[in-house]
Amino acid sequence: MLHRHVTRRKLLAGALGTSALLALPRPAAPAVKKGTSLRMWILKTYVEPTNKAIEASAARWGAKHGASVTVEYFTFEDMQTKYVAAIENKSTPDVAQLETGAPARFAGMGQLLDLTSFAKQIEGEVGKPPANVAPVTVIDGKTYAIPWYVMAAFWYVWRDVFDKAKVKLPTTFEEAKQAAQALNRPKDNFYGMGQSWNRTADGYGVMQSLMYSYGAGWAGKDGKYKSIKTPQMQQVMKWATDIYKDGIQPPDCLTWTGSGNNENFIAKNIAQTSNGPSITFALENALTKATDAKEKKTREEALANSVALPHPAGPDGRRMWAIAMSMGIFKNSKDPEAAMSLIAHLLSPEETLAVMKDSYGQFAPVLDKARAASKDYFNKNENYRNFGRAAEWFVGTGWPGPVTAAAAEVQATNVLTDAPAKVIVDKWSVDQAIDWEDKKIKDVYDTLRG
Amino acid sequence: MRRPVALLTGAGLVLFLLVILVPFWWIASMSFKTYEQIQFAVSIYVPKPFTWENYVGLWTETRFPLWLRNSLVTALVVTATTTVVASLGGYAVARLRFPGRESVASLILILYLVPPALLFIPLYRVLAELGATNHLSALFLAYPTFTVPFCTWLLIGFFKALPDELEEAALIDGASRATAFLRVLLPLAAPGLVASAIFAFTLSWNEFLYALVFIQDEKSITVPVGLNLLIYGDVFHWGQLMAASVITTIPVVALYVFIHRWMVEGLVAGSVKG
Amino acid sequence: MAVGRTAGVPAVRRRAPSWGRARRREAGTALLFLLPLFILVVGLIIYPFYRAIWLSLTDKLVGYPERFVGLRNYAYLIADDTFHEVVKNSLVFTVASVALKVVTGLAMALVLDNLVRGRNFFRGLFLLPWITSTVIIALTWRWMFDAFPGRGFFNSVLLDMGLLNRPIAFMATPAGAMAAVVVANWWRAFPFFGVSFLAGMQSIPRELYEAASVDGASAGRRFWHITLPGLKHVIIVTTLLSFILTINDFNIIYVMTRGGPGTATQVFATYSYEVAFNQLRWGRGVTISIFAVPLLVIGIALISRYLLRGSR
Repeated sequence: MLHRHVTRRKLLAGALGTSALLALPRPAAPAVKKGTSLRMWILKTYVEPTNKAIEASAARWGAKHGASVTVEYFTFEDMQTKYVAAIENKSTPDVAQLETGAPARFAGMGQLLDLTSFAKQIEGEVGKPPANVAPVTVIDGKTYAIPWYVMAAFWYVWRDVFDKAKVKLPTTFEEAKQAAQALNRPKDNFYGMGQSWNRTADGYGVMQSLMYSYGAGWAGKDGKYKSIKTPQMQQVMKWATDIYKDGIQPPDCLTWTGSGNNENFIAKNIAQTSNGPSITFALENALTKATDAKEKKTREEALANSVALPHPAGPDGRRMWAIAMSMGIFKNSKDPEAAMSLIAHLLSPEETLAVMKDSYGQFAPVLDKARAASKDYFNKNENYRNFGRAAEWFVGTGWPGPVTAAAAEVQATNVLTDAPAKVIVDKWSVDQAIDWEDKKIKDVYDTLRG
Repeated sequence: MRRPVALLTGAGLVLFLLVILVPFWWIASMSFKTYEQIQFAVSIYVPKPFTWENYVGLWTETRFPLWLRNSLVTALVVTATTTVVASLGGYAVARLRFPGRESVASLILILYLVPPALLFIPLYRVLAELGATNHLSALFLAYPTFTVPFCTWLLIGFFKALPDELEEAALIDGASRATAFLRVLLPLAAPGLVASAIFAFTLSWNEFLYALVFIQDEKSITVPVGLNLLIYGDVFHWGQLMAASVITTIPVVALYVFIHRWMVEGLVAGSVKG
Repeated sequence: MAVGRTAGVPAVRRRAPSWGRARRREAGTALLFLLPLFILVVGLIIYPFYRAIWLSLTDKLVGYPERFVGLRNYAYLIADDTFHEVVKNSLVFTVASVALKVVTGLAMALVLDNLVRGRNFFRGLFLLPWITSTVIIALTWRWMFDAFPGRGFFNSVLLDMGLLNRPIAFMATPAGAMAAVVVANWWRAFPFFGVSFLAGMQSIPRELYEAASVDGASAGRRFWHITLPGLKHVIIVTTLLSFILTINDFNIIYVMTRGGPGTATQVFATYSYEVAFNQLRWGRGVTISIFAVPLLVIGIALISRYLLRGSR
């Protein structure tokens, strides 16, 4: 090709391949051929209206371009299996919604398209993500996914219970623990807190929020393994296991499934728990289903009294692990340009707002302009205002380092929640548990590839 | 029967009845309660008011009907292929003389014991290479790996227990083996075939691990995997899950009521004689 | 779980073809009839089994090509304390459930055997757990043991009877969780034991019992000296089969506890699945299941021996 008279662009394309071509700054939105058909994978949330809203948004894109989108769902439960299967089968979708650790994992496998320049385009149209969210999607200097929204966790409390006992609403983990001790009434089957160290985001997510807020991380700023045998981790483990002493939590707390803490909170068995806005959603739903005036009043009170506080802070700050959803494109996609067009459409402030309106607060946009556009929606009440701030407190897996495949695997081994469980159930000492956890984490980093 | 034995037997009967029936009743009872009744522990033992909303919701709001259809299709296809392969193979071992015959029979039982927990990963890759994953065809191929050994084993027992004079007569009259098999033996072996088919159906209907691992496409999910999926995120639709459990169990129980005689015979076919 | 016919010495009931061609033709027909079985077995059982072995010698990670690493996975697991716990749990789970199944199976067989009327009806009724989907059984028992009063049967009953002030979290301790999964597994399978033992009992000649009664033997002694020995074969074969199937069980534990709390109920199958699909390590995941194979082989060898012996 060198002897031909070619444009610089074509030369580069020939030499470096299609992805390089796409990486050059583009003057206009990607073109979409009529009749294009894309497959998109979306997380199926428990708030069905949100799922439908995303589908509708995708359909609008399809109508605009004479193309079609097939939306397929994965759930919290099966997201690993589904993506693993698709990768091994080479049947990955075009556009994929990726949770916090996924961009790092899949980029490491070479599965994702480099979206660095596309990201610049989005930046122009929808704004930048806050600095704390960037580590999720930027791996080794390249961008592999565009952040869309955060599904955050909040510290739910029953305000009336606190008021009655004249206990201050907690802002730190330490205060939360003390409040739990003060509010505990096991004789009435009421407990001060419900924090399960289970294998769901309610477990490993809160453990990470706890660790990062205390300044304890298993990776350094460079993303490499760092020992957790530190005084900060000692404090973390102590907090995690103290709450299981003195009966301040329901006896079956450790074995709860993802819905366990929701149910116990809604049934007013516990005074505090960490959870996403799904509790508010459940209470709002119960209100609409109320059959008589008396029930309606009860449900309204419940809604008013269930306060979603910002997630507690630790001595090192207020850091909240959450599920950060970003959109990526798999390399196998036959039409990356159409995929980018779809993503740009979904992430535009208008479309994001349209989806968000049906999300009951669980969907906190990340990019500047979308966040600004959503301010009014979140201004509904105090809870919603907190929901809208989710991106402020977000940190990704592997803090203070970037999100890496190794960090994602550490989370996936469940060692973060198995360690306190060993102290609580097997009666290990805190030191033993930390040593064991440290060894397991180091092993992941030592034996990982890519 | 002497008194103490009669009393013990009666007590034992009652005890076993309770042990076996109480869990079924508990689930059925919960399937008729509303979410709020379960959440707030209202009317624990007998649902009041009694509601069909879980069944309706299950049918209209979830993809349960699709899962039922997938499970049914899979079970039927697998039952058909299993019956054919197992009766052919069973006949060969039971009636035909060939070198290594005894080893083949033992090998068949051993194959049934190869655990799915070991095979699921490599089998997954093999099926992926065949392009069969992510739809029901993966199950059509994978399920016979345990239904066929089991049913062949079963049918060997059944066939051996049948007198072979009729086949002998047919063969002497010049019929081929195939004819002897199809026209003479199979009709005689009908109860055994039915038992084998019921087993294959049940094993298919209830299988979970392979269906979980080999299929992700929403359109091809079977009931056990679907039940697992009814737990999404933070909300667990208890009542619907119970309703699904009830509905899923009914066809098998119904089938079974009509044929349990044969099924039990099948279980102890050729017997446990020592 | 069939206790099928013995595959021992064939009963020679007809005259064997007396010349080579006929015999060869018969063998040829046999081959034809066995062909579908053969293809299925080789293609979908033996070949994947061989690939499992191969995979266990690699460091296959999802999304990456595999590399041969020899016995590294095996060495890792042998040194891994979690795996030690998995082995222990698998054995405890299996031995406990099988023991319970044998004992209650015997009891059930005795009860049914003594029934004058309705034996078939009750035998059929008692088999209900055995035909129910294990996923549903696992969910059912999970709820039976639940600590949330509206859902947990035992807690509801005990609370209502005033025997408890607070719900007990049965499944929150390692022992409790293990007991719960054992109960679910036992409940599902003991009727099968019962029915098999019943069939075995009914083939014991009545004269033996009559002779013993005439000699003045009590019911207990008759049971010990006639029934049990008569059932020896059935008991052994059924126990071995159940042992092999239970030690590789996935459904019940996965649905009830996912291996928790912590790793208290993690067994071969569930740990293998977790390592393969959460940690994406397929090489190691397969190796975990392979460790159960020696037990499998021993079990199979024993069964074959007993079945061969029993064919006389």
